[in-house]
Amino acid sequence: MPQFEISHVRPQGRRLDWPDLLFGTFLIAVSAGAFAATAKLSGGSAADMGPGYMPRAIALILLGFGLFFTGRGLMRSHAGIERVQARPMLGIAVAVGTFALLIEGAGLVAASFAAVLLAAAASRESRLFEVILFGLCVAAGAVLLFVKALALPVPIWPW
Amino acid sequence: MELFDNLLLGLSTALQFNNLLYCLIGVVIGTAIGVLPGIGPIPTVALLLPFTFGLPPESALIMLAGIFYGAQYGGSTTAILVNVPGETSSVVTCLDGHAMARQGRAGPALAIAAVSSFFAGTVATVVIALLSLPLAALALKFTAVEYFSLLVLGLLAAVILAHGSVSKSLAMVFLGLLLGTIGIDVNSGAARMTFGIPALSDGLDFVPVAMGMFGLAEIIANLERNEVRQVVSQKLRDLVPTRADLKAAFPAMVRGTAIGSALGVLPGGGAALPPFTAYALEKKIARDPQRFGKGAIEGVAGPEAANNAGAQTSFIPLLTLGIPANALMALMIGALMMQGIQPGPQVMTEQPALVWGVIASMWTGNLMLLIINLPLVGLWVSMLKIPYRLLFPAIVLFCCIGTYGISNSVFNVWLMLGCAMLGYFFIKVGVEPAPLLLGLVLGPQLEENFRRAMQLADGDPSVFLTRPISAVLLAVVAVLLLAMLSPAVLRKRTQALAE
Repeated sequence: MPQFEISHVRPQGRRLDWPDLLFGTFLIAVSAGAFAATAKLSGGSAADMGPGYMPRAIALILLGFGLFFTGRGLMRSHAGIERVQARPMLGIAVAVGTFALLIEGAGLVAASFAAVLLAAAASRESRLFEVILFGLCVAAGAVLLFVKALALPVPIWPW
Repeated sequence: MELFDNLLLGLSTALQFNNLLYCLIGVVIGTAIGVLPGIGPIPTVALLLPFTFGLPPESALIMLAGIFYGAQYGGSTTAILVNVPGETSSVVTCLDGHAMARQGRAGPALAIAAVSSFFAGTVATVVIALLSLPLAALALKFTAVEYFSLLVLGLLAAVILAHGSVSKSLAMVFLGLLLGTIGIDVNSGAARMTFGIPALSDGLDFVPVAMGMFGLAEIIANLERNEVRQVVSQKLRDLVPTRADLKAAFPAMVRGTAIGSALGVLPGGGAALPPFTAYALEKKIARDPQRFGKGAIEGVAGPEAANNAGAQTSFIPLLTLGIPANALMALMIGALMMQGIQPGPQVMTEQPALVWGVIASMWTGNLMLLIINLPLVGLWVSMLKIPYRLLFPAIVLFCCIGTYGISNSVFNVWLMLGCAMLGYFFIKVGVEPAPLLLGLVLGPQLEENFRRAMQLADGDPSVFLTRPISAVLLAVVAVLLLAMLSPAVLRKRTQALAE
């Protein structure tokens, strides 16, 4: 049975454990960033800790975890990662970003309407007309709920 | 009797008209989000936090607590009728509850679920009242040394009992602790990792972090799965269970309540673990385990009682020690801090109306839930007909407004966006974000106590082992860690959390 032979010969370590590997490198990057950001803070001694003591101690532990996961990710062959879809991620990100840019200058109504419209673009099932109508209703609802009822101090209109 | 005095004080607080109203608002919102899959209590509580600022502390906490246990009720309604667990805690209710519904016995299943929850909620309220006093008395003896050990135990137990890989969750706790050190150092006044951003000098606000990681990241992941949701339309006849139903369900209810109360107190217990344990127990002791999965009423009563009891007793460590048992309780701590109340054992003595009011409100809240759930069940089910394509943009918008509203800060909205991307990354690499939130909230307390303890002991770490209470706590930590390394326990845990 030649097929069997082939599957045996195929090297097992080719595929990596992507989740472990990515999480590990992420932790290493975070701990490196923490070391860099706290480099100027004094560490002090164990009896009298300076502001840099705890962040660096925790970053050191994170570095250990990062190396452990990276190592395990390289050693173990395991399933890959679920495919990343761009549309949902971009839709939500752009919606939130637009809200942040509009809220103080253009007011709650414009920011809400834009955020709902852009967020809806994240889903393939959204229908344009329905979303426009729904966006208007939600914007009106947001003004009533947050500004009128909950007294959030935010401009409603751009003027 | 001090206990009765306290309960009376609590009841008189909980029965004030405006507190009853906030309790009602809380349980109605809770039921709604419990019914709707795709939005859980964590982002909801995070969203409402900024708006509780203007309320008196007891009203704020009563409302937020209502959301938490209301969500357990709502989650089981959809589990039974639609086979969609609204919350993780109601996953097991799907098994037998939905089987009963398919046999045309949806009415009795819903009624038994509601009655079990009410029964468990009532008993758990008494348990909280009984346990709180001695625990708080013990906690008053705590110094920085004991507090540090207790925080370590809390964080570690939360990791071990929660879902997901232990090593990754531990890493997430430390990541949370690191994020918790951001901001001005209290002792020296030096800015740490603020990158020159003034908004960061007060530390990383956990509301945008929670909303990004639990609310938005979850939405992105939901949109990638194209799940088809079908609503089983069924007429609800005879809600009243038969006497035979009640007779079969009552012992299961009692056992479920006991399990839930015990597991809820443990850090990390919360509402997810108890129902699984209760279901396993019912199946084990049943004369005919074959019936389970095919509409056994004990399979509904036990887990439902357990999840409600657990949801409520998980308030015990929060109210007595100031330590959150899970990510949601961490948000409750945040609510307390926003009110200017430092959580800890002194809250029991300094704010008795608050603590006992919240405890008593759980009972009034459970009564309200019984009333708004059984007759209005049709209304809740019709909420499921709202398509997700309309629901999620509204949730995104509310997250944005809520985050902005905490301190009218656009920076928080950007922070939420960053955390959403980070949360999406965590979902993709299969890591639970809940331990990070716990670490973030407890981080400053942990550092403060650690530094103070080391200062008192002149830099000698053995102080944590020479003080008896601290030594016991750390011994429990060591036992838990060792147990995790044994393969037998590891296998059991995988089994228990398999669902």
